[in-house]
Amino acid sequence: MDATDKESAELSLLDRFSRAWFPPAAIVGAFAGFVAAAFRTRPEPKAAPRRAKAASPSQPLHQIASAAPPARVFDREYFRTAFPAGALSSHPFRRSLSGLAVGPGDKIYALGDDEVRIFDTSGALTANWRVIENAACFALGPGGIVCVAAANRIEIYEAGGHPRGRIEAGEPGRPASITAIKFYQEDLLIGDAAARIIRRIEISGRQLGIIGDKSKAGKFILPNKSLDFDVDSKGVIRATDTGRHQVTAWALDGTPLGSFGKFGMINPEDFVGCCNPVNLALTPAGEIVTAEKMVARVKVYTPGGKLLAVIGSENFDPNCTHIHLAVDSKGRILTADPVRREIRIFSQVAKAGANEAGREEYKRS
Amino acid sequence: MSEQSTRRQFIDGSFRILGFAGIGGAAGLLTRRVMGGTVFQVDPFKCTTCDLCRTSCVLSHSAVKAVNEFDKCGYCMLCPAYFDVTSQPDEKGIPAGKVCPQDALKRRVVGRVDQDDPNNNYYEYLIDESRCDGCGKCVKACKPPAGNGSLRLEIRYARCVECNECAIQIACPDLAIVRVPTPGLVPAGPPAHQEKFS
Repeated sequence: MDATDKESAELSLLDRFSRAWFPPAAIVGAFAGFVAAAFRTRPEPKAAPRRAKAASPSQPLHQIASAAPPARVFDREYFRTAFPAGALSSHPFRRSLSGLAVGPGDKIYALGDDEVRIFDTSGALTANWRVIENAACFALGPGGIVCVAAANRIEIYEAGGHPRGRIEAGEPGRPASITAIKFYQEDLLIGDAAARIIRRIEISGRQLGIIGDKSKAGKFILPNKSLDFDVDSKGVIRATDTGRHQVTAWALDGTPLGSFGKFGMINPEDFVGCCNPVNLALTPAGEIVTAEKMVARVKVYTPGGKLLAVIGSENFDPNCTHIHLAVDSKGRILTADPVRREIRIFSQVAKAGANEAGREEYKRS
Repeated sequence: MSEQSTRRQFIDGSFRILGFAGIGGAAGLLTRRVMGGTVFQVDPFKCTTCDLCRTSCVLSHSAVKAVNEFDKCGYCMLCPAYFDVTSQPDEKGIPAGKVCPQDALKRRVVGRVDQDDPNNNYYEYLIDESRCDGCGKCVKACKPPAGNGSLRLEIRYARCVECNECAIQIACPDLAIVRVPTPGLVPAGPPAHQEKFS
């Protein structure tokens, strides 16, 4: 019997247990207890049978305006045309669709999935390239350049998608929140929802002026934190003033030129909900195309604010908070539904006659 | 020799006991942290504002109240959670009806005030918790796309009596009442800006 065995024999049973088994057993036990406690789940109660809900005294909001009878016969109607065969089906937008524009030759430019994609008139994808992440809007400029904006940054790309430069908008300490950009000739117009103004800047980034702060009523009211606008060939800017439920007109030097629109849930001429219209585009003829949320619909107005047509909510997802708009050279209205992530084209139907009010009436062809 | 051996054994044993106590204490603390410090709360992503929070709470005046998240709120003049936008508008075009049956949603002008045209003003919306019964009508009306979704229902810890089995949880058809960890939670009263109504 050597010294170790002798020492071992002298140890009591308790000592041996304490030395040999208790430490690992205690550690394992404590660990197991901790794991059991950590993964203990409270049994979820069984779902109670859903009670029959009392009939709501009022209809869901998104059904109100669409259910309301039209106040009058519209002068013109638009109808949905299927996007040309094969379009988008092979290149669907899987995560996002946040912008739409029409380029030279009526090519369709769409922003989504962190890419700019270009479709030809037949709907086939002709080009695409990656852009900055979380891009909110984009614009086509002279020479085929494409400006893509995210937060307060604008990335400038050549026609083929090669990056050319970057601009940052806003004042030091108060970065812009860009929700719309458009080109007017060589200048860039930026809708800054944080400052509630439209900035006019050079492509180099130098600011030339501010639009939207010279109104007697103050800056734009933007409860939905989104400002959209378009500019016509004469340099007249039409912008959404969502909180006031108005479409406003501005000269390039910032002079207010007027407005139209008001809140209303019944008359289709009015804008519904808390803050509409949310998106805007101009046709080559100078008509104003607006998109609304809550009742997802698109409407066409004369420059003076007379309602011409309504593209109904059945064409869009009811949860749309934006319907991105563009108009091609033929006056067709393109819409991008970011919830369904689909692009639709609406064409004006042929002239059919005149109604009792003396206005030209158009029927669906 | 015997004394040395005893001392070594004593030190050895002491360290061992200290080690066991440390492990046990740490495990106990962790277990307590995991198991304790959770409270009932409404999951806003599951909640469908079914109105059962109002009727199922053991309290006569439900512990569930609407709260407004000001970062999300649009400070709308025509708030769809405040006005019943489907009601008949008055001569100024503003809807005459209100969504809240208890008149618990209050508002006040913030920033520059335009007395002539209310469309030029921003409005801050506050909940009068003494009136709010947690029916969730305002929450439903504020949900996108109509509103920004800044209103939500919340169990107010100052009122909740922490039942073993939350009666609202049992009744909720959407399983929207969940236990959420709140380390270091101290039951608090309503936010300072809402106290004035309480």
